[in-house]
Amino acid sequence: MPELEFVNVRKTYASPTGDRLLALDNFTLKVEGGRFVTVIGPSGCGKTTLLRMAGGLIPLDSGEIRLDGSVLANPSPKMSMVFQGIGLMPWRTIAANVALGLQFQSHRQRLTDEEERLIETTLALVGLTGFEHYYPHQLSGGMQQRVGLARALARQPEILLMDEPFGALDAQTRAVLQDELLALWGRVKSTVLFITHDLDEAIYLSDRVVIMGRRPGRIKEVLDVNLPRPRYGYDVRAEHEFARLRAIAWKSIREEL
Amino acid sequence: MTQSSIPLETAGTNGTRSLIVAAARNYYVMSVLSVVAFFALWQIVSMNVPPIILPTPASVIAAFVQLTASGELVVATAETIWPFVVGLAVAFVVGTALGLLLGIFRPAARVLDPYIFVFWSIPNIAWLPLFIAWFGVGDLTLVIFVFISAVFPQLLTVEAGAKEADSFLVEVARSLGGTKHEILRAVVLPSSIPYIVAGLRIAAGRALVGIIVGQLLIVATGIGYMFQFYGETLALAKYFAPLIVVAVLAVALNRAVNWAEQVLVPWKSRAFT
Repeated sequence: MPELEFVNVRKTYASPTGDRLLALDNFTLKVEGGRFVTVIGPSGCGKTTLLRMAGGLIPLDSGEIRLDGSVLANPSPKMSMVFQGIGLMPWRTIAANVALGLQFQSHRQRLTDEEERLIETTLALVGLTGFEHYYPHQLSGGMQQRVGLARALARQPEILLMDEPFGALDAQTRAVLQDELLALWGRVKSTVLFITHDLDEAIYLSDRVVIMGRRPGRIKEVLDVNLPRPRYGYDVRAEHEFARLRAIAWKSIREEL
Repeated sequence: MTQSSIPLETAGTNGTRSLIVAAARNYYVMSVLSVVAFFALWQIVSMNVPPIILPTPASVIAAFVQLTASGELVVATAETIWPFVVGLAVAFVVGTALGLLLGIFRPAARVLDPYIFVFWSIPNIAWLPLFIAWFGVGDLTLVIFVFISAVFPQLLTVEAGAKEADSFLVEVARSLGGTKHEILRAVVLPSSIPYIVAGLRIAAGRALVGIIVGQLLIVATGIGYMFQFYGETLALAKYFAPLIVVAVLAVALNRAVNWAEQVLVPWKSRAFT
């Protein structure tokens, strides 16, 4: 199982005054293969920076990010990202949007029969059969993020990087998509690095919750979540263990607010 | 949105006032009323002034029929349309290509932007005497003048559009592993299409002005010349015939661009229509 590793990662940004703003310093984290790991922390703690570096979208100042031992620099075909802003191409139909992830993976315009089938089955997986020829603006926000998920999953990624994917959705849609994500993950079993600022979401989804402190971003606490899966099968949030983890995490986060 | 189904009952119960309100709610009725009112007003005014100031609608229609039957209007329209179409087509292709190049490839923009700004700032009409010296009095001059009139709006609109390709979508495409070339093709170009169509809308309007001005002032052919000739000879009833042709052309052009927009930009949700 593919493993994602951050080793002594340092990242600074230029501030308007000209000096460097330290976003992440000495950040080390191992996401073991097949695990669902969530990073949570106050806004500005560098959690999105972390994900964008792992996705190869921005360079690091020093340190390394490794995928199965080899150093990552550019966006890797073994990874897929899911964004809060979704980022569907408005001129492409739903099927064509999912196809884009495959076309950029193989660097071929033309889809093979196998890829066509893959798009079909992935759309079925996220419950969008029949919407292949719709344009994004014709779908609700929740459906659009399902397309975002399908685009990521069709690439059959070893690692799924998710940047607050449900942050812009209403509470009900978010709960539904959380369950769907868990069900999908149960089938594809890729390694997931998930970013959120929603504590309940973090505990509900993850094997491990990484709590980050304020800038410069550093790991403050790591909590293992041992609640049995599949978690959409029972009322996890009513479990004593859920409440216990939530209390510990909340205390830790509050100190950073 | 037509609301012809709503007002019928109100009209019956509340009399004339509601009838007017009902009619005002119906776009078709409003359009017809507007046209009728326009001709009525024209008829009234023209009966009270000498025909040399304003001819009656009937005499204008008669002149239009006569000029069409004699072939004069048909020939003039053809003489106007073909340099217009050629000039506009070349301007569209060149303007779109250059606009994309300048919008995507910044060094090219840095080199060419000052020239474009200067040439664009010069009033089109100032070119005409020079073009005559270079290309003679003929269709070539007209085509080039139409081209100059239309190319800058096309170029500048497309350049602005290509520059404004959504940076988030570009980032998403990068995360999916798209190469520079692939992202250009799959993100930047499609997001420029609405701007290409918007550019065409402006360019077509400018080109129409260009061809009429060129023919009216210099080359003495086509619709533009009819304006000049019937204007100077004070044959006002006939003067209106080319005016009608230009109006029809303008409406047809607008319809054509609307149609192109619907075909080329099917993903736009239109807030107002």
